[in-house]
Amino acid sequence: MNTDALIRSSRRTVLVVEDEATNRELLGYILGESYDVLTAVDGVEALEVLAGHPGQIAMILLDILMPRMNGIEFLKRRQQDDTLSRIPVIVLTSDKDAELETLKLGALDFITKPYDMPEIILARVRRIIEFVEDRQIIQDVERDELTGLYTRGFFFEYCRRLPAPPRGERRDVIAVDVDHFRLVNEVYGKGFGDRLLCAVADGIHDVVHAGFGIGCRGDVDLFYVLLNQRRDYEAVYDALMRRVHQLGQSNVRLRMGVYQGVENTRPLEWYCVAAKAACDTIRANYTRGVVLYDDKLHERELYNERLIADMESAIAQRQFTVYYQPKYDIRGETPKLYAAEALVRWIHPELGFISPGAFIPLFEENGLIAKLDDYVWRQAAGQIRDWRDRLGVTVPVSVNLSRMDFYDPRLKERLLDIVKENGIPIESFVLEVTESAYSQNMDQMLKTVGELRQAGFHIEMDDFGSGYSSLNMLCLMPIDALKIDMKFVRNVASSSTGYRMVELVIEMARALGVPAIVEGVEDEAQYRLMKQVGCDIIQGYYFSRPVDAASFEPLIAGK
Amino acid sequence: MITLESLRAYGANVDEGLARVMNKEDFYLRMVNMVLGDASKFDQLKAAVEAGDAKAAFEVAHALKGATGNVSLTPIYRPICEFSDTLKGHTDQPIPPQCLPLVDEAVKQFEIARNL
Repeated sequence: MNTDALIRSSRRTVLVVEDEATNRELLGYILGESYDVLTAVDGVEALEVLAGHPGQIAMILLDILMPRMNGIEFLKRRQQDDTLSRIPVIVLTSDKDAELETLKLGALDFITKPYDMPEIILARVRRIIEFVEDRQIIQDVERDELTGLYTRGFFFEYCRRLPAPPRGERRDVIAVDVDHFRLVNEVYGKGFGDRLLCAVADGIHDVVHAGFGIGCRGDVDLFYVLLNQRRDYEAVYDALMRRVHQLGQSNVRLRMGVYQGVENTRPLEWYCVAAKAACDTIRANYTRGVVLYDDKLHERELYNERLIADMESAIAQRQFTVYYQPKYDIRGETPKLYAAEALVRWIHPELGFISPGAFIPLFEENGLIAKLDDYVWRQAAGQIRDWRDRLGVTVPVSVNLSRMDFYDPRLKERLLDIVKENGIPIESFVLEVTESAYSQNMDQMLKTVGELRQAGFHIEMDDFGSGYSSLNMLCLMPIDALKIDMKFVRNVASSSTGYRMVELVIEMARALGVPAIVEGVEDEAQYRLMKQVGCDIIQGYYFSRPVDAASFEPLIAGK
Repeated sequence: MITLESLRAYGANVDEGLARVMNKEDFYLRMVNMVLGDASKFDQLKAAVEAGDAKAAFEVAHALKGATGNVSLTPIYRPICEFSDTLKGHTDQPIPPQCLPLVDEAVKQFEIARNL
C-alpha cells in the first residue's frame, strides 16, 4: 500500500454536535461505518470534546438550533481559534435561511434534514475531509515555515509550469548565500540566525514584488530567485544587505551569484547550481558581494568536474606521484638533512601537470581527499621503509592530514596500520595538521591529535598563522613542531614587521619547547635572515624544490 | 408492538426511513421507538402553543420536524413541518390561529403511532 492509500484508508474521527438524540444516533450510525464518531449535545459540550481530543477530530457536523450554545455561536467561537478553525464544519440544517449565515461563518457544506441517503452523507463528509487535508498538506509543503518563501520543491515545480517569457525578454537566476552561516549561528545564536534568514527572505520578497519574480529558500542558508532580467544586481544586493544590517550585526555578509539569460535548454536546477557556483567563488573575498556567472567560470567548473571524475582512475593508474622536499636543520655550523615533507603531484595523461592548489581544495570540498591522503600516506611510509632497507638511514617523512580526515573515527587505526605494515618507527611518520583545521572544531581536534600523539606520532602544526589560534589554545595543543606560513617569510626582506612576526613565532615555539620550521625559504638572503632570528629548521627552494624519491636519494647520501 | 408492516399501514414512508439507515430494520425500529417513546417534546409543544409562546413553539416544532422526518413518520412530520415553516421568521408575532389544527393533527398522529 502506498503512503497516499495508507493515509486515505486510516480512520478519521468526526464530531456530531446535535441536541436531538434520534438525529445524533442516526448520524452516528451512518458515519460509524467509516469513521469513529464522537457526539456532543450542544456547542458548550462540543468545545469540551474538542479540547479533550486535540488534533484528533477531522470534521464537525453541527446542528444550528441547540440549547446553551447554538451552532451560530459555536461557529463564531471556532473562527477566533486558530486550531479549531482548521477543522472543517458541515452544518446540519432543515432551514435554508441559516445557510448563508453559516457559510459566512466558515461552514463548508450542508446536510439537510430529513437526512439524505447515507451514501450521500458519507460521500460529502469524505470529500470535505480530503479537500481540507490536501489543502493543509499543500500549505505545509508549499511554504518554508520559517521564512514564508516557497520551498525548494515548489519553487522548481512552479517555475517549470511558467509560460516562457515574452519575445525579447529574458530571465535570470540569482543565488543568495549567507557567508559562514554556521559560524554566524554559533557566534550570535540560533535565534539571530533565524532572524537573519527571515530578513534575507523579506528582502527577496521586496525584489520579487518589485518586478516579475519567484523566490524560494533552496537550502538552510541558500535562496534562489527567478526574475525578469535586470542590470542593477549591485542595487539588489545592497537592498538585501540593508535588511541584514538592520539586525545590528555589521559583520554578517551575503554572497550573491547571478546567471543571466536562463534558457529552456537545461533544467532550471542547472542554472541555480551555476548561480550558486558563481557566488561560491567569492567565499573568502570580502570586497565583492555579487558575481555574474560567465564562460570562464563555466570552463573552470568543467575542469573541476573533470578532475573529480578522473580522480579514482588516477589513483589506480598511479598518476599521482609523491615528491619529497627536504627540511634542513640549520642550528649547527653546516645545515643537516633533518626530514622530508611528502607532497603529491598529479601528472595527468591529457591535462599534464596539475598543481596541488587546483585539486586539493577541490577534493577537500567533496571528501575525495581522504582517498588521496590514504594513497600518499602509504607511498610515504613505503618510501621510509625502502630508504631504511637500501640506504640504512631512517629519514622522517611528514605527511599532511586534511580537515576531512578527522571525521573518520578510525583515523588513528588507519595510520597505525600503515606504520605497522611498513615496519617503520612511528616517530619517523610525521603528521602535519594545519592550524586552520584546529580552529574549526577545536575540542574534537585537540582530542584526536592528543590521541595520535599518545600513540607515538609526532605532530607538526602546519601553516601556523593561517588560522586564528589563541595563545590559550596554543598551550593546549599537543604538537612537536611549529611550521611557519611562508607568507611571513616573503615579507621578511621587505618589511620590518614581517621580520618581527617571524621572530615572535620563533619565540612562541621556544616557549612551547618545540622547534620552529620555516618553509618557503627561497634564497640566500632569506636563509641568512632565518638563521639570524634563530629559526631551527628550513624547508624551501633555497635547499631543494620537491623532488621524486630517486632524486632525493643523493640528499640522503650527503647527510 | 411496532412492526414495519404496522408502520406502513399507518402511513410512514418505511422504505425511505430504512434506506436512511442502510436497510437495517432493527436499527430503524429502534429509532422509531426512540422518537415515539419521548412524549416530552409534544408536551412542550402543547404548552408553548397554549401559552402563545411562538418562539418556544417554533424551536420545539423544529426539533420534532428533524426527528420525525429522519425516521419518516410522515403523518406526524407533515403537519409539524407545515407548522414550523409557518412560524419561521415570525416568532416575534402571535401564533396564527389557523396553525393550531396542525399541532392538534401532529399530536393526534403521535398518539396513534404510539399505540400501533
